[in-house]
Amino acid sequence: MDRGLLAVGGGVSRPQAGAEAAARNNGLSDAEVMLRVKAGDEPAFEYLVQKYRRPMVSFMYRMAHNSAAAEDLAQEVFLRVYRSRGNYEASAKFSTWLYRIATNLAVNYARDTRHERPESTVSLDAPDENTGLTMDIADGSLTAEEMLVRRERMAAIRQRVQALPERQRLALVMHKYQQMDYRQIAEVLKLSESATKSLLFRAYETLREQLQKFV
Amino acid sequence: MTCNEIRELMPDLAAGLNPVTREVKQHLNSCPECAGKLEAFRQTMALLDQWQAPEPSPYFDVRLHARLREEMAKPASIWLRWVRKPALGVALAVLMVVGVTLFERGGIVPPSEPGPIADVEPGTAVGDLQALDKNHELYSDFDVLDDLEVQHDVTANP
Repeated sequence: MDRGLLAVGGGVSRPQAGAEAAARNNGLSDAEVMLRVKAGDEPAFEYLVQKYRRPMVSFMYRMAHNSAAAEDLAQEVFLRVYRSRGNYEASAKFSTWLYRIATNLAVNYARDTRHERPESTVSLDAPDENTGLTMDIADGSLTAEEMLVRRERMAAIRQRVQALPERQRLALVMHKYQQMDYRQIAEVLKLSESATKSLLFRAYETLREQLQKFV
Repeated sequence: MTCNEIRELMPDLAAGLNPVTREVKQHLNSCPECAGKLEAFRQTMALLDQWQAPEPSPYFDVRLHARLREEMAKPASIWLRWVRKPALGVALAVLMVVGVTLFERGGIVPPSEPGPIADVEPGTAVGDLQALDKNHELYSDFDVLDDLEVQHDVTANP
């Protein structure tokens, strides 16, 4: 039963295994693919990993504000999905279930590291968190002053998003960066659709006020 | 359409996820406050777009698959297996209840003293071991006697 994924990690290349799995799962919903994983189809799990690895890392990055932690947390999400495969019921969309697991992990991480995260500072010498490039080589078309302004703007965006109340932050990241609709966000956060709309309005309104000078 | 209804739709309208319907357009034309807010939301959204997330590193898949292989190598907990199978769990619980009840009523007599050990013929390996065990105290006394003899010799030949 476990040989499929071991082969995926070993002899068969992952893109190849992912492509094979994608071809086999063509036309199936993610929930149906997950039911195949439940039945012991390991390459089907690889298909889900390949499909959701980027959105998961991106979601975790915006919740954890740290690339290394984001990757660890995204891996943990997939591990938890794999461990829970036996209990999976296709009563909701697979992505809703996935984001619920991710949300729990992100919230716990944020609570555990609340006192560890330093205030964001803007420095000319420090490499950019997103690109890993230092200011002098990050963008040749910008002057040092323009780069500094850009850094300051990015730091402000991160700080303001991070400072939002937990639920507002989660809703905003799912809406703005994961392109999830109200209904799905409501299901992940276990809220009514109306409450989710109100939550999102307040989150954007706060950011509009606080980031006004950068617009 | 009311201002509150427009506000509920505003995040989706600003993100371009919902089309601007005729009703929405009518309200925005007649309500400069909502129109202004929608424009401000669009600008905020554009600003938020600048916050890009990095791509997963090349090691992401390698580490994930290593962790998955580790996970697969772990034996599933026996207790968890019982818990996951309700019928087996119930059977175990019933057995435990029956066992405890029988024990309390004296149905099951716990073994008191260990039974006598059968005599083993001397000369066999088991017999020798038993003999050694029985004579352990005696051998301990021999050690004390040896020590005394040494002391005596020392006194006798200064």
